[in-house]
Amino acid sequence: MRVLRAIVALVFVAAAAAPRPRIEVTEVTLGNGMRWLLFPRHDAPTVSAGWVAHVGSVNEREGITGISHLFEHMMFKGTRTIGTRDIAADLRIIEEQEKVRELMRSELKVMRERLRRGEIDDLLKPENQTARYRELETQFDDLVAKQRDVIVKDQLDQIYTRNGGEELNAFTTEDFTAYFVRLPSNRLELWAWLESDRLINPVFREFYSERDVVFEERRMRTESTPLGKFDEAFNALFWEAHPYKWPVVGWPSDIPAITKVQADEYFGTYYAPNNLTGILVGDFDPALARPLIERYFGRIPRGAKEPPEVVTFEPAQLGEKRFNAEAETSPTVRVWWHAVPFVHRDRTPLDLLSDLLTGRTGRLYKSLVLGRPIANEVEASVDLKKYAGAFQVEAVVKEGKDPAAVEAAIHEEIRRLQDEPVPAEEMQKVKNQGKAQAFRRLSSPFSILIQLLYYDGLGDWKYINSYADEVDATTAADIQRVARAYLTKENRTVGVFLRKEAAPAPPPAPPAPPGDGTR
Amino acid sequence: MTAAVLLLAAAVQAAPVSAPAIPDNPAKLVFKPLAYTPPRAADHRVVLKNGMVVFIAEDPTLPLVEIAVTVRTGSYLDPAGHEALAALTGSLLRNGGTRTLTAEQLDERLDYLAARVETSIGETAGTATLNCLAENLDDSLKLFVEMLKEPRFQEDRLALAREQALQEMSRRNDDPEDIERREWNVLLYGEGRASNRFTTEASVRSVSRADLVAFHDRYFHPAGMIAAVSGAFSRPEMIRKLEAAFAGWPGARPEVPPVPSEVSPAAPGLYRIEKQVPQGRVSIGLPAVKRDSPDIYALEVMNEILGGSGFVSRITRTVRSNEGLAYSAGSALRFGIYYPGAFRALFQSKSRTVAWAAQLVMDEIKKMREEPVTAEELDTIERSLIETFPGNFESKAKTVALFAADEYTGRDPSFWATYRDRIQAVTAADVQRVARQYVPPEKLLVLVVGDQKEIDVGDGKHAVALAALAPGGHVVTLPLRDPMTMKLP
Repeated sequence: MRVLRAIVALVFVAAAAAPRPRIEVTEVTLGNGMRWLLFPRHDAPTVSAGWVAHVGSVNEREGITGISHLFEHMMFKGTRTIGTRDIAADLRIIEEQEKVRELMRSELKVMRERLRRGEIDDLLKPENQTARYRELETQFDDLVAKQRDVIVKDQLDQIYTRNGGEELNAFTTEDFTAYFVRLPSNRLELWAWLESDRLINPVFREFYSERDVVFEERRMRTESTPLGKFDEAFNALFWEAHPYKWPVVGWPSDIPAITKVQADEYFGTYYAPNNLTGILVGDFDPALARPLIERYFGRIPRGAKEPPEVVTFEPAQLGEKRFNAEAETSPTVRVWWHAVPFVHRDRTPLDLLSDLLTGRTGRLYKSLVLGRPIANEVEASVDLKKYAGAFQVEAVVKEGKDPAAVEAAIHEEIRRLQDEPVPAEEMQKVKNQGKAQAFRRLSSPFSILIQLLYYDGLGDWKYINSYADEVDATTAADIQRVARAYLTKENRTVGVFLRKEAAPAPPPAPPAPPGDGTR
Repeated sequence: MTAAVLLLAAAVQAAPVSAPAIPDNPAKLVFKPLAYTPPRAADHRVVLKNGMVVFIAEDPTLPLVEIAVTVRTGSYLDPAGHEALAALTGSLLRNGGTRTLTAEQLDERLDYLAARVETSIGETAGTATLNCLAENLDDSLKLFVEMLKEPRFQEDRLALAREQALQEMSRRNDDPEDIERREWNVLLYGEGRASNRFTTEASVRSVSRADLVAFHDRYFHPAGMIAAVSGAFSRPEMIRKLEAAFAGWPGARPEVPPVPSEVSPAAPGLYRIEKQVPQGRVSIGLPAVKRDSPDIYALEVMNEILGGSGFVSRITRTVRSNEGLAYSAGSALRFGIYYPGAFRALFQSKSRTVAWAAQLVMDEIKKMREEPVTAEELDTIERSLIETFPGNFESKAKTVALFAADEYTGRDPSFWATYRDRIQAVTAADVQRVARQYVPPEKLLVLVVGDQKEIDVGDGKHAVALAALAPGGHVVTLPLRDPMTMKLP
C-alpha cells in the first residue's frame, strides 16, 4: 500500500539543434490512486504547489449548477483542526443550522410555487419571502452568531499568510477545479499538512454565507458587465445536449438552492485521491519531497467508487443557429463552430488555423480591419475543453458599418482557407510564433504550475512537451482539412450584438452569406 | 508526431524508513531557517556610451531575450487640446512602420521572427518591449531599434488608431467598473490633474502625423532611456550589441519638464452616480502620501491589516466572510512617486445591501483609529511582508525591471536593503498613529455607482441609510459624462 509507482517522463531525443519547449516532469502515482507531477527548478527560494480535482461544472446537472464552484469556496472554510476552537460544539451548531435550513427549504417550496403562479417576482427579495421563512432566517442568523464563538475565522489563510504564502487561491472551470499557493521553499511540509488535512477532514462551516458570496460573484462577473448575461445565453444556445451549456458559476435559481448535504455528497464522489493530481514546481528536492508526499497524501483513503464518466456527446448540429440581441456595447459579431475535445488529434491544426486568422498579420485583421476596413478589432481562438470544443471568431464592427458585411467577410476568409492551401511562408510564421509562445509560457515556476494544473485538468499535461512536435507535424493540407471539416455553415452559431438605446433599430436582417461560407 | 518523445515506465520502490509521525497540529512543524539577500542594482547597472542606462542579467533558463526600454516622457506632456498625442504616439510607434519598412512589412517581419514588440506611453513614462528568441536576437534588435529611432507613423495606421480610440471612447459608460475607476480618480485628484485630462473626440481628431513626429523627436533619445535586459546571452556580448544598436542617434539628451505635483481633491462627501445594474460599486478613501514619506512602512502594515491582505484583513472578513455581502471587499494603498498616492477601500454588493456594507467598512476604518491592532495581527502581517520579500526578485526579468523602474523614478537605493528591518520595526502604536493621521472619517470621499433607488430601499434588517454615511453630511449626485466630450450634462 505504501508503494510508489513511478513513471519517469523525460528523456527527449533532441531531433533538431534548435531548443524545444519542454519540462522534465517526474510523474508519480500513490497507492491510493493520487497522481503527482514534480518539476524542480531553482530560480528563487520558493515552491509553487497545487492540486487539481478532476471535477467541474460538466459533472453537474440542472438544479445543482454551480455546485463545483461553490465547493471550491468551501474548501477554504477549514477542517476538524483548522478553523475551530471546539470541533464538537462547532459540529453541533452546524447540525442545528441544518435543521433550521431544512425548514426554510419547505418555505422555499411554497415561495417557488408562488413565483410560478406569478404572485411574486423574485425569491431573493425580503418582501416576497413568507413570514415563517423570515422568522427561520432570524433563528438561523442567531446560530451563525453562536458559531462565531467557536470558529477561528479563515485560519487557513492566516497560517499561509504568516508563513509567507502568496497567491493562495483556486479556480473552477467546466472540467476541473485547481487549488494553489506559492510558499518559501522551507515550508513544503506545512503545505503537505494543510492540503492533506483539508482533503481528509474538511468541515463546510459558514456554508450559507459563502453561498451568498458566490451569488455576489455572479452579480459582479455576469450580471453587472455589458456582455456577461449575453455570453451566458449565447453559450447556452451553442450547446444543446452537452453539460457545457450551463455557466460554471451556476444559474441564478440554482445557486441559492444548493444544500450542504449535496455538497457533502459531491465531496465524497469527486474529491477522492483517485480523482486528484498534486503538482510541485520550484525549489525542492524530489528525493525529499516524495516520501513527504507519500506520508501526508498516501494516508487519504481511495474513494469507495470511481467518479461517474461524462458520457454525453454533443449531437451533430443540423443547421446554423443565430442570436440577435441588443447590449450596452459596440456592435459585435461572434461566430462559434463546434470543434474537438482537447485530447483530439486535430487540436494543433485547429490551433494553428486560429493563429493564421488572428493577430496583426492574421488574415482576419488584414482583411476586416486594414483592408476593407469594416471592423476595428477581430480575434480568432480555439476553446478546447476536456470533452468537446469550439472554434471562435469575434469582431467589433466599425461605427456605421454593417454587421452583415463583417459576418460575410469572416465567412469569406474561412472559405479561402478551405479552398486554397496556405503558402509555406505563412505556415512557417504561425509555427515560429507558436513555438516562441510555448517558451514564454514557461517563464516562471508559478506560471509552469498553472500550465500543469490547466493541462492536466484537460486530460493531457504532456501537451506542454509535445506541442512543438505537433506544430512541426502540421501541414498546409491539415489546415485545409480541418477548415473544411469543422468550419461549416450547419456547424456554426452566430451572434450579432447591436448597441442598445440607439433610435428604433430596423429588424436585424439575417445576413445571408453566399454559399456555405463558414467564416 | 510524438516520435521524439520516449516514455520510460519504471516501478520504483519507496523506502518507508521509519518516517517521522505527522503532528496533530501544523503549529508543531519546525522549518529550517531560510536566509535571503536581495540582489544589488549596482551589480547589474551599465551606462552605454550614448548615456543610456542598462540593467542587465544573464538568464539561460529559456532561449529567450527580453529588452524593456523606459522612455522619459508621458501624457502629462500633452499640449492642451491634444490630449491623445502621447497615447497615439505610443501606439503608432509599433503600428506605423519604420523609415525603411511600411507598417505591413514591419508587422510581417516581426511576426515571422516570432518577436513580440509592444510600445505605449502612459501618464508618466513611455515603454517599449522586445521579447524574442535568442537565435533571432540580431534581426529582432535591429527592427526594434529602427522602430524606436526612425518610426514612419504611417497615415492610414494613424487613421485606424483614431477610429479605434473613438470607438473605445463610446464604451466609456457601458461598464460600471469603468465609470467608477474614472470618477474615483477625478474625486481624488481633480479634473485638472494630468491623469484626469481626458481624451475626447475633438482631441483625438486634432492629432496629426506631424504632431507625432514632433513629439517623438522631442523625447526619444537613448540618453532619456533606461533598459532592462535579461535572457539567454553573455553579458559582455549583449553590451557590445546594445552599444552598436543604439549608436549614432541624432540629437541630444532631451529636456523633459518634471511631472506636476499638485492635486485638487473634491470636497469630502458622498458622491452618487446612477447606473442600472443589480450590484452597487463602492469606493471609500482619500489621497495619501508620496513614497518618500517615512510613514510608508506603518501605512503599509495598517492597510494590510485593514483590508489589503485578503481574508486575513478586517474588511474582507467582516463584509465577505462574516456577512456574505460581497465577493470582492478590501482596501488598497498606493504610494505616489510624483504626487500623493491614495488609500481606497472598495467592495461591490447587491443594491439593497450597499448601505449596510458601507457602514461596516466605515466602522472598520474607525476601529483602526480607536484601538491598537492586536499583537497577532501585527505579527502575521509583518511576517508575511518579510517572508514574501524574495518574490520581488523571483525572476531575472522581474529583477532588472524593478531596478530600471527605481532608476527612472529615483528611488532611494537603500530601499530594498532596509525594507525588511523597517517593516519589522513597525509597532501597534505606529499603526494606530498613521490610521489617525491619514484616514480621518470626516475627510473621506465615498463614491457609489449603481441603482440608486434600489440602494435606498435598504436590506430591511439594518436601519442604515447611505446618505447618513456621507462625510460632512455632503451628498452630491453626479450625472454621467458624455463619453465623447467628457462634459457633464
